[in-house]
Parts: sequence; C-alpha cells; structure tokens
Amino acid sequence: MKEEFTARLLRVHFGEDDLWQGKPLHEAILAKCAELGIEEATVFRGIEGYGAASRIRHASHWPYSKDAPIQISIIGTEEQIGKLTPYLDAMVEEGLVAASTVEVVRYSRTPERS
Amino acid sequence: MLQPGKAVKVTIYLSDGATHHGVPLYSSILDFLFYRGVAGATVTKGIAGFGADHHMHSEQLVEISDRLPIKIEFIESHEKVEEILGKLEELAGSGLVEMQETTVAKPAQLSKPVKPPIPAHLKIAGKAQIMRIFLSEEDRWKSKPLYEALVEALRANDIAGVTVYRGILGYGAHRRMHQDKPLVSSHHGSIMLSVIDSTEKLRAFLPIVEQMVEEGLVVFSDVDIVKYAYRAPEAGKPETASTPAEVRP
Repeated sequence: MKEEFTARLLRVHFGEDDLWQGKPLHEAILAKCAELGIEEATVFRGIEGYGAASRIRHASHWPYSKDAPIQISIIGTEEQIGKLTPYLDAMVEEGLVAASTVEVVRYSRTPERS
Repeated sequence: MLQPGKAVKVTIYLSDGATHHGVPLYSSILDFLFYRGVAGATVTKGIAGFGADHHMHSEQLVEISDRLPIKIEFIESHEKVEEILGKLEELAGSGLVEMQETTVAKPAQLSKPVKPPIPAHLKIAGKAQIMRIFLSEEDRWKSKPLYEALVEALRANDIAGVTVYRGILGYGAHRRMHQDKPLVSSHHGSIMLSVIDSTEKLRAFLPIVEQMVEEGLVVFSDVDIVKYAYRAPEAGKPETASTPAEVRP
C-alpha cells in the first residue's frame, strides 16, 4: 500500500552520554515519540562531531564508548511535532533541534498479506 | 569519416594463396583500401571453404594449408564505393566481390577522445532534493539485504550519491522497536539511506523504490547543492574538477 503526504522532519542532535531521569536521553525521546504516536523515529550514532558545547565527540572502536554524537530523525505530522517540541525543550539540555518540511511516501504491507 | 545512416558493406572472398606483385593479395587489397581513405576494413581467415573452381580449401591437409579462404570486409558510403569499385574488381581477380546495403547505427570513434565527457550524474548543481529511505536491516530483496540492493539499483541508474546509515535504536512503519546490540550477532537495526540528486531523477527512480520496498518510509526534502566535486578518473595527477553552485543564504 502506498500513501503520500506532507510531514515535518525533526533532527535532534546531542551526545550519547546525555541522560534524562537516569535513562539515556535518546531512549527517553524515542519513548516519548512512540507515546505521541509519531510515525518514524530513528537514532543514529555518529563517528565524530562537535556541537553546542564545542567539544569534539569521538566514538571509539570500543563499542561501549559513551562520547559519540547522537542524531535522532523524527518524522511526524505538524500536530505531533508541535506536541513533541515542549518535551524536547525540557529534555534536551545541550543540543540542537533542526526542523524541515518533507514530502513523505509510505509503503506498508496490506494487513491480509502479513 | 563514416556518418550514421545508409552505407554499403563490401565483402571480397579470396584464396589465401593468391598473390599480387609478389605480396599476398589480401594485403595488397588492404593497402589499396587504406590509402584510398576507406573508414575501416577487416580481414578474416576462414578455416575451410570452396570457391568458383570447386576446390576444397581446408587446413586439415597440410600441403594445401596456404590456400585457406580469406574474407575482406569494409563499410563505406555509396559514393566512396562507386569510386573505388573498378580498381577493386580488378585487384580481386578471380575472387568474389559482394555488396550489401546496410545502415550505420554508430560510426567508430577515434581511440583517443579529446576530452572524456563528464558523466551526466556529475552535472548536478544548485537546487536538488534529498530522498531518505527508512527501512529495517532485516528487509531483503531477492535474497540480499534491501539496502544493498537499493544502493546497487541507484548506482545502475546514475544517481549522484547515496550513504547508508545504521541506526542504533528506532521504530517505524511496522511498530517494532529496533535495537542494535553489540553482542547479539543478528542485526535488527534501523537503516536509513540518504540519496541526493535532482528532483526529476529522484522522482523517476521512485517507481523502482516502490517495487523494492514493501514496507518503509520515503521522505523528500529540498536541498541546495553547494559543491559536488569529483576526481577525473583519467587524470595522471589528482585533479579536482568541481562544479560550484552559488550558496543560498
């Protein structure tokens, strides 16, 4: 099944060591997105970067390094993104949020086939 | 220089043993064609055959192995063929000369092109679009990972560039949470492909995406290409030819 619509893309940049109420910030943001019924949210770990604090972050070869830059791509309707923004304001202490308008094509399996 | 369109293909059948002024006949015909400026000619040696005298020429018998059939072929314009045909018939002697109407689809190029043309996909500048495709790492297409198949399809369609990202956490169309755990051998991560090219080319590619992606999200947004540089593959020293476009505020 194919649907086309216009939506908002939000990219949230922060560090992997950022926490929210003791949990990794990216997990907390993802949980909030799911709660708001947002279409799609994916967390990416960068290999190098710098941000608001002008501190260069590196992801080392050691997989448990906690200094890598994190980017979350969130795609949702104008309304959903509007609801999410106040939460992001509260949760992201140090970071960057960039928004753009995007055209979306969604492919989904029809229920009878899966 | 041969032009695309109507032309004549001339084939001359000779016997290997024939000579003309002490040199093999085929080489003297080839020289004649060469100095009369014929676009190109090919000499092929048959492995067996017979001609007007009904003498079987074959390489199986050692004593007559120098009498193998020879075929000379060339393609030229009507006018050129008319011009050289008389002398050619004289040279061919007892051999057969055949003419055939043909059509040149693409004339041969000089082996050393003056400047290699810039591939079409390297000419994008300014206004473009970014297409992000979100899918799951376990999605497959004809037994290979879907993201790999998509990259191959994009490259085959001359799309300017693509990068595949593996997410460490995410959820999508199927509402399954993907988590990349370093100690778990099977990957069930989220995958994002970021593709940049002109709007028309990306839109033209969308039907292929549609065929390959059963479940997923494709997102388009506008971008301005500030620089797309590449290294000319034939340059001896690394030389960067860039197509800078104006930077929009």
